[in-house]
This record gives sequence, structure tokens and C-alpha cells, in this order.
Amino acid sequence: MTDTIPASRPIRRRIRALSDRSIAWLFVAPTIFLLLAVNIFPLIWTIRLSFTDFRANRPNREVEWVGLENYRRILTDPDIWNTMQVTAHFLVWTIALQVLIGFTLAWLINRKFRGNDLWTTLIVLPMMLSPAVVGNFWTFFYQPQIGLFNYVVSFFSGVDPSSFTMIGSVTLAPWAIIIVDTWMWSPFVMLICLAGLRSIPDYIYEAAEIDRASKWRQFWTITVPMVLPFLMLAVLFRGIENFKMFDLVVQLTGGGPGSTTELASINLKREAFEKWRTGYSSAFAVILFVTVFGLASIYVKALNKVKDR
Amino acid sequence: MTAFFTGLIRLRRGPWEMLATLLIALGVIMLMQPFVLWAFTWSFVVTLVGTVMFIITSHFPE
Amino acid sequence: MSGSITEPSSRQKTVAGTLVILYAIITILPLVWIMMTGFKTGPDSISYPPKVFFQPSLEGYVNLFTSRTRATPEQLATLPAPANFADELARDRGMIITGPSKFGERFLNSVIIGFGSTFLSIFLGTLAAYAFSRFKIPLKDDLLFFILSTRMMPPIAVAIPIFLMYRSLGLSDTHLGMILLYTAVNISLAVWLLKGFIDEIPREYEEAALIDGYSRFQAFVKVVLPQAATGIASTAIFCLIFAWNEYAFAVLLTSGTAQTAPPFIPTIIGVGGKDWPAVAAGATIFLLPIMIFTILLRKHLLRGITFGAVRK
Repeated sequence: MTDTIPASRPIRRRIRALSDRSIAWLFVAPTIFLLLAVNIFPLIWTIRLSFTDFRANRPNREVEWVGLENYRRILTDPDIWNTMQVTAHFLVWTIALQVLIGFTLAWLINRKFRGNDLWTTLIVLPMMLSPAVVGNFWTFFYQPQIGLFNYVVSFFSGVDPSSFTMIGSVTLAPWAIIIVDTWMWSPFVMLICLAGLRSIPDYIYEAAEIDRASKWRQFWTITVPMVLPFLMLAVLFRGIENFKMFDLVVQLTGGGPGSTTELASINLKREAFEKWRTGYSSAFAVILFVTVFGLASIYVKALNKVKDR
Repeated sequence: MTAFFTGLIRLRRGPWEMLATLLIALGVIMLMQPFVLWAFTWSFVVTLVGTVMFIITSHFPE
Repeated sequence: MSGSITEPSSRQKTVAGTLVILYAIITILPLVWIMMTGFKTGPDSISYPPKVFFQPSLEGYVNLFTSRTRATPEQLATLPAPANFADELARDRGMIITGPSKFGERFLNSVIIGFGSTFLSIFLGTLAAYAFSRFKIPLKDDLLFFILSTRMMPPIAVAIPIFLMYRSLGLSDTHLGMILLYTAVNISLAVWLLKGFIDEIPREYEEAALIDGYSRFQAFVKVVLPQAATGIASTAIFCLIFAWNEYAFAVLLTSGTAQTAPPFIPTIIGVGGKDWPAVAAGATIFLLPIMIFTILLRKHLLRGITFGAVRK
């Protein structure tokens, strides 16, 4: 090519490139600004408060800088440790049950029986509902004597329906919240597993069939490994969500009886908005932040892995 | 296994991210385990190190 | 052998279908039960064994929307004839309706805050998603991760500083405050989802428009937006559902004028114990729109819950 291109061409291109760039910033800036104002600024404030003994109900009191004292107290406090164990119990069981139910359902739906779309949509309904309202009406089902749940259990097991209260008993309350969460969120795991199952091309099974691999072997060597990245995604997301679980459980049990269902967020709410130990609870909030942030970065990595499929 | 260590030495993204992921997972387990209090106490430091490491190492070349 | 070897046999299909339908019925039962309870009378709602067949009554709905006081039979006799069916129903129970309850107001708050924040997050989200999809932005991946991570944060932990911030700005318990807050939470979902939708629109369309003399902005408005309409609509429904359902921020940051329905519904109580039909009626009115939206959204559900990563 010779140098005969008019000089205006690169200049025009540059103007256009420049305007693209300015449009890009113009479009992204409001979002970033909003997030900085409503998320990052408060976050930095929380970190600052976590080094003080500030109390939000007495804003005029002299605030003292206490250094890492709040962190030291939280991380050696057996009550907080207990809260984390309650959260762990909830987390482990809900994830185990939801994976089991969700995967089984997905596997069954993938048999492509007639009308599977309709039933899938019905199954999905609970997960879209307001957790607080759901928690509230499940307390109705859990009423001894009059509650639907107690009635159904007694109908099938013969136990007197007024002999047990799911949310009033120390041993049953942790299971009461697990049951409701599983009812609500198994469809979530199901949907993601279903996507995983549908992403497996038929020819892999056909090849295995030609190799005379048994159905059992096909399941463990093809189905499970291919669905695993999707399952990981579902588990991580449910893990993060249930780690910070608040609305559903607060309406169901309010953390009680005693502190048997007091999850991390419920404990935090009590410290921050009932006892008003703002500095102390800020430190606890930072600990939860960092944990969730760590899990979220693993989640995004898993997300990108699935995206490439 | 050797690939993992050479990756670490050459500051490659894969193995370092794996290491950070493991640290975060370890921190979360330490935070929620019911067995020893000292593990709970130090869990936050482990998670924090893992998270910061993840942010940094995700910018390493592939 | 007939048909493909990977196609399940018809017996397999029957067994799988039966099990799934059984699960679906069990899982839907609590929802059906709540809707039924809304049409029961107080005694019917707490009878043992639970009543499946009952005389339907609008008592729950009347109690939900009105506040009432107890009146003596003499007082009732002196009143003029009941103006409408609600009056009549209340008088049958020995009550006089004294005015509307707060439920209507709270429901309206949910609508205002839900639609307000949805509109804002879609508006800002579409712009940002377009920029992320089409332009080279420095640290793009980090920005996207940062945007997503804000959604993952525990609401109670975020609420502490926001409570303080709103108190000093005078935004606590205002519609504007809640709209801004929900927008900030929803925008991450909007950006991620919409980026996925816009990524799917071929760039050639815009390039053709640019060659035709459109400016970048015109191309965005006239070519990309119409193409992304379905995506924008389903993203909007997701944002609306989130704002509609949100409880933690609402319960901590609102108490009166801007309180939404989720923190209000559990506080409905009747005379002498919980008024379950009224609670159930409130829950039904509140949950029904979401169920309808979910059915409309079914094709895009998977995308919504995975931030656009899994497209099916």
C-alpha cells in the first residue's frame, strides 16, 4: 500500500476511538459510583469502626480507639464460636440434602418424560418466594396440634401431633430450619444440575455403549464428572447464601430456643441493633465480609469454568 | 506434582490460585469446626491471607 | 433395537415421571395450603384435623385490609344498615370496621420501591453492561468481579454502616433511601445478566449501523436495545423479584412510612392470638405476583440464578 490515504482518515478514526472510550466511561461510571457510595464507602467505614468501641445508640459519647481488641474478643469468644457451629450444622445438612434431592430430581427430569417442563416449573416456585414470608407461614405449619406439618408427620408415623414442637424444642429446632431451607432451595440445585446433565452430548454415552460399559459405570465415569463443575457452582452459591442466612430463620425461630438456631447473621443483628455494640459488631461483620469475599472469588472462578462449556 | 511446583516458582496463575483456594477453604473450615478453639481463633488470619493471595495471584500470567 | 440407545425406555419414563410429579405435589402443598387458609374462617384455620373442605369466607381478606373494634350487640343494633359485604362480615363477628389497615400502604410501598429500584438498576445496568460487552475497559475482569462481589455481602453486615450513613443523611425510612439501596444490590445482577444477553447480539449489526453513519450512541439505542429487549425484560423481572422479597434491609432501615410488605406481614395479629387467615391472605396477595412472574420467566430462570453464566 502506498502513502496516499488522506490524512483525515486516521484522525477521524482517532476521534471515533476516543468517543468510544468516553462512552465506555460514561456508561460504566454511574454504576461504579453508586456501588462506591452504597457499598465501598460503608465498608471502609465498618473497617474503621471495627477498631473502636463506638456505640450507635450513644453517638455523642467519646469514641476510643481499641486497636485489634474487638477482633481478639470475637475470635476467643465461645459464644461466637458456638454461633459458627450452629451455622456449620445448618450449612452442611442443607447442602447435603439439597444436593441429594436436587441431583436426583434433575436426573429423573432428564429422562424426558411427557410434561416435564410443566412439573419443573411447579417445583421451582418455592425458591422465588420471599424468605421472610415463607418463614412466617411455616411457623403456622409447625404449630403443635393444629399445624399441617405435625399433622402429616403424625398421620404417617402415628406420633401424637401435639407431642412435639418443631420450633420450640432444642433438639428439633435446628432441623426445622433445615427442612424449610431444603424445601425452598432444592429446586435451585436441581435447575443447575439439569443444565449440567443436558450439556453432556449423547455421543459420549453412545461410545460407552459400544464399549459395553455398564449403566452404573457410565454414571460414575461420564455423568458425575461432567455434572461436577455445575454441582460445585450450586454448592458454592448455596454455601455463601446459607452462610449469611438471615430472613428465613429469623422469621421461623428468631434464633431460639436459647441459641440453638442462632446463625452468624442473627447473632450479628443482635449485637449490632439490639445491644448496640457497634464497634464490636463491625469487627464481626468484617470477619464475615472477608470469608464471603474469599468464597465469592472461588465462586466466580467456578462460574468462569462453567461458562467455557 | 512437579508441574505444580515449577508453576509456583515461575509465578504461574493456576497453582497459586489453587493454593489460595485451599487456604480460603481451610480458613472457612477452621472458622466453623467444633473441635479446637485455637483453630477458630486463627481462622480469620488464614482466610484473610488466602483471600488477599487470591486477589494478587489471579493477576499472574497463565 | 429400535430408536436411539441413549433414549430412556418408556418404563423408565413412567417411573421418573411419577416420582417427579409426587415430589412436585408435596412441594406445592404448603403453598396451596396457605392460599386455602386465606379463605377460611378463624376457627376453621386452626381446627384439628386440618380441614381440606370448608365453607369459603372472605374474613381473612377483610381482616387484612381493615382495622376493627369490638362492639356490643346494642351498639351494633343502633348502626345503620351495613354499607358493603365487608361491613356485614365484620358485624357478624361482633366487630365494627374503623378504617383501613396498614397493609394497603405497605403493599404500595413494596410496589413503589420495587419498581423504582428495578427501573434504576435496569437503566444503569444496561449502560454498564453494554460498555463491558463492547469496549476495552482497563481492569475489566476486576471491575466485573467487584460488581458481583457486592451482591454476595451479608446484608446485616452492610446494614451497620448504611444505618449510620442513612441516619446522618436523613435517608432512613424514606422511599428514596430504599430505592437507592436496592438499586445498589440489584445492579450487580443487572450488569452480569445483561452483559450475557448483549454478548449474544452480533457486533456486525452495530458495525453496519456505524458504517451507515449512525453515531455510537444512536447505534446503541436503535440497534442494540431493541435486540436486547427480551433480555432486559427478564432481567427486570429478576430485579423486581429481589426487591419485592427483600427483608433484612427493610426490617432494619424502615419502620413506618417506607416499610415494605415482608417485614409487615409477620406482624399481623388478631384479637387473642395470631389471625392466621389474615396472615395467609396477606401472604397470598404478596406471593401470587411472584409465582406468575416465575412462570413467565421459566425459560430464563437458569440464567438469572447463575448471573448469566449458564445459558442452557
